[in-house]
Amino acid sequence: MHRREALKSLAILTGGAVLVPSCNFEKEDILAAYQNLNVTESMCKLLAQIADTIIPPGNIQGAGDLAVQDFILVMVNDCVQADQQGMFTKGLQGFDNFSKEEAGSKFSKLEPADKEKVVAQGLSISEEDADAGKKTILEFLRITKRFTIQGYMMSEYIMTQVKPYHLIPGEYNGAVLINSISNPKING
Amino acid sequence: MANFNIDATAERTFQAIVIGSGLSGSWAAKELCEHGVKTLVIERGRDVKHLHDYPTTNMLPYEFEHRGQLTNQIKEENPVVSRCYAFREDAMHFFVKDKEHPYVQDKPFDWIRGYQVGGKSLLWARQVQRWSDFDFEGPARDGFAVDWPIRYKEIAPWYSHVEKFAGVSGNKDGLANLPDGEFLPGFELNIVEKYFQEQLKKHYGDTRHMILARCAHITGNLEYYQQQGRAKCQSRNLCHRGCPFGGYFSANASTLPWAEKTGNMTLRTHAVVHSIIYDEAKGKATGVRIVDANTKQMEEYFADVIFVNAAALNTNLILLNSTSSRFPNGLGNDSGLLGKYVAFHNYRAGISAEYEGHSEYTTSGGRPTSGYFPRFRNLYKQETDFLRGYAAGFTASRSNYADQSGIGMPLKEELLNPSKYSNWNIGSHMMGETIPKETNFVALSKEEKDAWGIPLLKVNVEYDDNDEKMIKDYQQQMTEMFEKAGFTNIRVRDDKRAPGLDIHEMGGVRMGKDPKTSLLNKDHQLHACPNVYVTDGACMTSTSTQNPSLTYMAFAARAAHHAMKNQKWGKV
Repeated sequence: MHRREALKSLAILTGGAVLVPSCNFEKEDILAAYQNLNVTESMCKLLAQIADTIIPPGNIQGAGDLAVQDFILVMVNDCVQADQQGMFTKGLQGFDNFSKEEAGSKFSKLEPADKEKVVAQGLSISEEDADAGKKTILEFLRITKRFTIQGYMMSEYIMTQVKPYHLIPGEYNGAVLINSISNPKING
Repeated sequence: MANFNIDATAERTFQAIVIGSGLSGSWAAKELCEHGVKTLVIERGRDVKHLHDYPTTNMLPYEFEHRGQLTNQIKEENPVVSRCYAFREDAMHFFVKDKEHPYVQDKPFDWIRGYQVGGKSLLWARQVQRWSDFDFEGPARDGFAVDWPIRYKEIAPWYSHVEKFAGVSGNKDGLANLPDGEFLPGFELNIVEKYFQEQLKKHYGDTRHMILARCAHITGNLEYYQQQGRAKCQSRNLCHRGCPFGGYFSANASTLPWAEKTGNMTLRTHAVVHSIIYDEAKGKATGVRIVDANTKQMEEYFADVIFVNAAALNTNLILLNSTSSRFPNGLGNDSGLLGKYVAFHNYRAGISAEYEGHSEYTTSGGRPTSGYFPRFRNLYKQETDFLRGYAAGFTASRSNYADQSGIGMPLKEELLNPSKYSNWNIGSHMMGETIPKETNFVALSKEEKDAWGIPLLKVNVEYDDNDEKMIKDYQQQMTEMFEKAGFTNIRVRDDKRAPGLDIHEMGGVRMGKDPKTSLLNKDHQLHACPNVYVTDGACMTSTSTQNPSLTYMAFAARAAHHAMKNQKWGKV
């Protein structure tokens, strides 16, 4: 986290947000912590809502409660190939337009059920038939879903309070009858 | 040297110097110190103290920013080490980064290194299979390299010696080509691995075996290991981070603290060895020149006996750089063969498959080892159009996973209560013996030096036709065995990896009977400078198919005792 911490300290020193020049049509400032992505604060909020639609809140907290969007941005910024980073940013930028086309409104204005429909529709875009814009939405959602699941399941909350992770997994048993395993159902 | 005086010389004089604090060097140090020899251990990197310097050992998955994954930046800056399976977010700090320590790849070679106290003993895969005379007699029988000057019976007691102290878990399998040792209780093969054992028996009688791989983990005799401050392996499978239990053998957890406890060991870290000092008048080596890694000042240390355990290729580098008028081409290099006949293990091929049977079973808990195929090819006689053969790993596993097709609450419920089981996934990888050749060699760069003024190592090592044939044979034979066992979706691979990524590089300072065709004698002494011993991978005459570390440990202990019995020791 050194880079991000450094940027934060710099922000404090300069008395405000650290800005990098934006090279797209967004008027909003680009978040400097993700230097490989052109992501603004409102895009980050939109991403949180998409993640929260993929894994919604309930008895157990959802992706939004756990701020999984931060993890998604870290992973896409640091670990994903450049062409995929481009698709991700474009897809996120274009997602509200896609939402308007599919459901007649910006994503944030939709009811949860409609949000789910929009995301489901995006994920069911045909790889063969769709135009470039639609394919970008598909790729963006695939990346987002993958890291939403990873960030959610590998979060401190899930790994300590819901499905505790054990550094010591116990002695090996090489023949466990599956129907002898009784895991209490976790009600999401 | 400026400010050089008698007192400084006395302070810098020991009975023995061990170059390298890793797996083999720490064994030499442990044996020497335990028997009262004042020993200086020289390490080029930083200290890594057991328990204190394992920063990630108890970190939970969510505490890693990228959940273990490497970032693009790290991969771009470190193309070589990033190819190593263990170079991940949790253990990166124990590996040499590409730019810090450059070398010259005359041919592609992935040189994986760990420059710190303990070396790669923190990072190894902990597999410890003994050699047998099927291995030691290989070169003589098949007409390559030179005959090993030793046989199994000479090394067997030293295998026992190191197995007992290091802690080796395994089963007594009664196989002629993979001798049994001093074993702590073995881990368990799972139901499908046992099924495969039965299938081998059914189709191949007693000619092919798949056994539980012996590994350097403590599984019993716990009071004995308490003396080392080590405890039972907890099957965490987080070994590369350093183990807070000392459950597996590392120099840091075992041999080095043991040596230190005697009061006879001095550890000099941040000391890059430049060369070994040869005294023409005395006709022997008298010490070691180091360059302080931080100040870059040269210093000299003196001793009666010197052990070179810098890890295979760096041991070559040090000897090649140790020139004098007696040895203009490197210490002990009268034969001109120093740096030549480097070999490795061929890990290029693998196979995967699925098994639909035993679907009512799964496994639980952790296990730090797997199954192992000892070599069956060309074992008793030559039977193929290539020399030697291969060992192989073998694993069956299955996972409980979530169907991730949906979104919303159905997806969340499924993630929290995964309903799916994969088929049993079957996997194996080859470990092929390669034939040492004069054309596979390392040498010093004439132009380029590192930041400490030491010539860069040029590596010139490649596969040959024998290796290519062996890859095909492994793929064919494993496919046949997998088909007979009823496995499906069988896929063979050849990942075309460069030599080196096996991290089993060996040779260059080989043992042999004749000083004209080898560098070291049967007791690991340089023929031409017998107070210098080499007991790491550099000494290997041939490679066999077993993971070599156990053999280095046994060699180091044996050579240390040879030195204590046969060398002239001064007082300190």
